[in-house]
Amino acid sequence: MMLSIRMRLLLWMTGGMAILLIVFAMVVYGMLSRSLRNSFDEVLLASARTIGGAVERDGAKVKFDMDEREAPEFYRLARPDYFQLWFESGEDLALSPSLGTRNLDRFSALRDSPIYRPLRLPDGRAGRAVGLLFTPKADEDTKGSIPVQRVVLVVARETAPLDSSIRQIRIFLAAAAAGTLLLTVLVAAVVVRRGLKPLDALAARIAAVRQEELSAPIPAEGIPVEIAPVVRRLNDLLSRLDDAFQRERGFTSDAAHELRTPLAGMRCTLELALSQPRAGSDYCQAITECLEVVRQMQGIVESLLTLARFESGQATVRPETIDVRELIETGWQPWAGMASSRSITFESRLPPNLACIADRGAARMIVAALLANAAEYTDDRGRIEVAGLTAGKFVSLTVANTGCSLAEEDVRHVFERFWRGDPARAGTEFHCGLGLALVQRAMANLGGSVSARIAGGIFTITLTLPATTAQL
Amino acid sequence: MRVLVVEDYPPIRKAVAKALREAGFAVDETGNGEEGLWYATNNEYDVVILDVMLPGIDGLTILKRLRAEGHAAHVLMLTAKDAVPDRVKALDLGADDYLVKPFALDELLARVRALARRAYCVKNPCLEIADLRVETTTQRVWRASEEVQLTAREYALLEYLALRQGEVVSRTEIWEHVYEFKSDADSNVVDVYVGYLRKKIERPPKPILIHTVRGRGYSLGASK
Repeated sequence: MMLSIRMRLLLWMTGGMAILLIVFAMVVYGMLSRSLRNSFDEVLLASARTIGGAVERDGAKVKFDMDEREAPEFYRLARPDYFQLWFESGEDLALSPSLGTRNLDRFSALRDSPIYRPLRLPDGRAGRAVGLLFTPKADEDTKGSIPVQRVVLVVARETAPLDSSIRQIRIFLAAAAAGTLLLTVLVAAVVVRRGLKPLDALAARIAAVRQEELSAPIPAEGIPVEIAPVVRRLNDLLSRLDDAFQRERGFTSDAAHELRTPLAGMRCTLELALSQPRAGSDYCQAITECLEVVRQMQGIVESLLTLARFESGQATVRPETIDVRELIETGWQPWAGMASSRSITFESRLPPNLACIADRGAARMIVAALLANAAEYTDDRGRIEVAGLTAGKFVSLTVANTGCSLAEEDVRHVFERFWRGDPARAGTEFHCGLGLALVQRAMANLGGSVSARIAGGIFTITLTLPATTAQL
Repeated sequence: MRVLVVEDYPPIRKAVAKALREAGFAVDETGNGEEGLWYATNNEYDVVILDVMLPGIDGLTILKRLRAEGHAAHVLMLTAKDAVPDRVKALDLGADDYLVKPFALDELLARVRALARRAYCVKNPCLEIADLRVETTTQRVWRASEEVQLTAREYALLEYLALRQGEVVSRTEIWEHVYEFKSDADSNVVDVYVGYLRKKIERPPKPILIHTVRGRGYSLGASK
């Protein structure tokens, strides 16, 4: 499942913060508990030194003499501290009254420096002890070099207060960390929401885009730099989408427009025929006229379908070698009669054996469309010239006709769907402004190209087609 | 009523012209813009039906020229373009009505009749002069309670006179508004047809309605 950015940010921020807090709390805890233990040990050592100070040497004799008031903690009845003194040899020297008949563990392997150990006190409380090995100090009179036994001292004290302090610190730190974490979550939630506001704003702007207004870009002001590239890409996409929609809309409106005129003609003719009782021949004429209109509409619809197939790449292409001369001669036949009646000269200047590679059906359609155009637009007593040559791997074929009334700059429109140099020819002929558009799309499908030129009243179309299969 | 049809698509032009003729209009037709402009500027038409896309000069240009030259003919534009801006443009250039292809022939006829009435500032499609009643919608005529059978030409003449009732209408005007450009009649036939009409609607003892105004023409109205 894809988590939302908000959830992700929240999880990462909270998780990171939790880890940081735990580490921080542990460091603080470690430092505090160590320093507490150290000061406990210092106090313990100080007690031990007091006891040690009470061990005196009188000549070779060692004695323990202490005033109860100097170290009352060993003499109180409730929760007393304990000490015990041994000679190095193991012989008891003295012990705190609180011990009674019990003994403390005697530390072994003592050296000059104090050693600390946790232990259980004789009354069962948890405690900590310090062990010392020292030479009892001599009094003023017995200064000398009389060797004397060293003394082992163990002082023990309960650790309950220390443990409770440490426990309190632990609880406090845990509570503080938990509280901070909770606050972090709350703050993070707010921060994330604020931080993601531009995204929400962008989403709202995108949601406001409607199909009819694709050309209006999503406003980029106030969008943070991180999202700006997204907005740019989106606007690119929108503008391309808009172009496609425009083309689509243009096409549908053109097609609707082109079909409306013949439809209107048919409707008028039929309504007129039905408006009153008429002679059979009148009906016959109306039906004939309508049939003619239907043929025109069929022509338009078929051209549109072919065009749509070419444009969507659905048309199948079966390349084969085609004799260009034969193609042109066959293509001209339907127009020959009309041309001679209008005294139009048709000249085909094609070298023999000129061959190209193309789909036969498509090639026939292209030639038919070009020759029909030429026959239609050539002036009376004008001239149509077809020429061709092989140039490298391509065959170039030109169809030129006189009598072109278009301006030279109109040449860029001639391949547009439904464009007519003379808007008036609308629907009067089979020409509906689709011929050259069809030729262009078909040529592209065949791996060739087509170009047009208008100069001095001569309209020239040049086709370029592959001459060998290698080009396909 | 005389109508000019300028439309380049033959099936529409032929059907519209024929339907108008059958509805009693005198119709001139052309498929060319330049010719259309010539017809429109050189004849008195009550209604001009104008296609927008035409060879030669397009419909909107013809409309502009007509208005610039002060022609008052009512113009109905015909076009396959149905977008609001197209309609607004045509109306703003001085068109009186607008019809989008494909249209119903009956609607076109009704609109042409409405425009023709408007040309004579008449709102009621039923014209009444004394006890004479002319129904322009159905082209039927009654005198008192008795229906009068008229030929198309006679009806056209009567309708024109009825639309201009009370006025003196000259023979030329009648000829201009009732006869097609291509008809071989001259203004003398007007007198002949007025004669036919009189025979049918003024059968004695009914009072005379069509008065001859010497040297000026005719006037339709109740006798004083």
